[in-house]
Amino acid sequence: MLLTLDLNDPRPLHEQVAGAIRRAIADGSYTPGDRLPPARDLADALGINANTVLRALRELRDEGLLEFRRGRGVSVLSRPDARAVLVEAARELLAEADRYGYGPEEVIHIIRELS
Amino acid sequence: MTSSLPSKSLPSKSRAITVAGLWGALVTAVLAVVPLALRDRLPDPLATHWSGGSLPDGNASFAGSLAFVLIFWGATWAALLGAALHGAILRGRLSRVHWWGLLFGGAVFTLGMHGVTLAANLDAATWREALLPGWQIVAVLAASAGAGVLAGYLGRGGPDVAPARSRETPVMRLRPGQRAVWVSRVSNPWLAGLTTVSLLSAAVVCGFAAMGMVGASAAWMSLAVAVPLTLLGLATATVQVRTDAEGLRVGFGPWGRPARRTPIGAIESAWAERLTPAEVGGWGVRGIPGTGRTTLMLRGGDHLVVRRTGGGEFAVSADDAERGAALLNAYIAETTGS
Repeated sequence: MLLTLDLNDPRPLHEQVAGAIRRAIADGSYTPGDRLPPARDLADALGINANTVLRALRELRDEGLLEFRRGRGVSVLSRPDARAVLVEAARELLAEADRYGYGPEEVIHIIRELS
Repeated sequence: MTSSLPSKSLPSKSRAITVAGLWGALVTAVLAVVPLALRDRLPDPLATHWSGGSLPDGNASFAGSLAFVLIFWGATWAALLGAALHGAILRGRLSRVHWWGLLFGGAVFTLGMHGVTLAANLDAATWREALLPGWQIVAVLAASAGAGVLAGYLGRGGPDVAPARSRETPVMRLRPGQRAVWVSRVSNPWLAGLTTVSLLSAAVVCGFAAMGMVGASAAWMSLAVAVPLTLLGLATATVQVRTDAEGLRVGFGPWGRPARRTPIGAIESAWAERLTPAEVGGWGVRGIPGTGRTTLMLRGGDHLVVRRTGGGEFAVSADDAERGAALLNAYIAETTGS
């Protein structure tokens, strides 16, 4: 599972982790039925507390993306809906725009020009 | 068969089946005809088992021992023929070596063991007088090993043609201020099951020894086998693979410890390959001489492969390996670029 965190992201860490896992499921690297690596592995890899990862996993379970099963760990239940994926992509776009000094209004303007 | 036809023009599969069929039939005929021809000079029952010394300690009827030998060889022959007919086993060089080695080494072993048994029994009044010098067993083992190695060498065929896999290294884009990691965990349920069995057997032996039902030396001996087996099984039944800015980390066992690290500066490139246990010589840590590659094989399928800057390659079973390789390549480009 590929997870990316943005170091300048002001959101709480557990939301960022949830976003990263949501993205990994959305881009098809994990499909319904696949088992996720254990929370401890993810936490070790990201250098964060295991409880933060567990909180992110619980959020995704409440969204209906993940399923917790005793003895089988955490597995993917369904793919995120289109809106959640788009929100995640838009957030990235805004972050990238910010790096080049563009504000949200200007991004909206660019999108209007394109469509 | 025309001798002018170069044997190379025959596909290796049909040649293997022809040779295995003729050779197997010949061995079967010798195994059956020789004892029947010597029947008048053999005692019944025959001495069939010797422990340590040259005096026999086990016997079987003439028909029983003949049937045992024929079934033993027949099963080996049938398994080899079946494997050749299936075809997949002759595709890899390493499995070809094993196949040819077993066909001839196994035949020499069966013929030799049966031969020395008959020679020991020949002209003995009863089976208790059949003496078998120990060096004959050693000679049979050496001859069958020699025949197996020679047949494997002669039947090895050409080197494996790498399938048209894209050796292009996958890449991905990293943005500044972004931290990316890739983790994968693979378990082999069979290895885990074996580990559990050996752990349980160790516990049972300890229990029996504590109750005084098993001698202390027997308990120690079985523990000496079960404990290393359990540890080895635990360490290799599960691996945890991680790639990040620091490089590749392969953690052994359910806790991911101990771990083997390859720093990013020591990696030249990374890619994903589909490998099977037959291609690398089995499960576990495998290295085939001459390929410069070590493989940690847990199951057939996707493997993450890295080539080190000092030469040599390392492959490890991992799901979704292409993404892990792409991330490594991105970090390599970042390290060497700046």
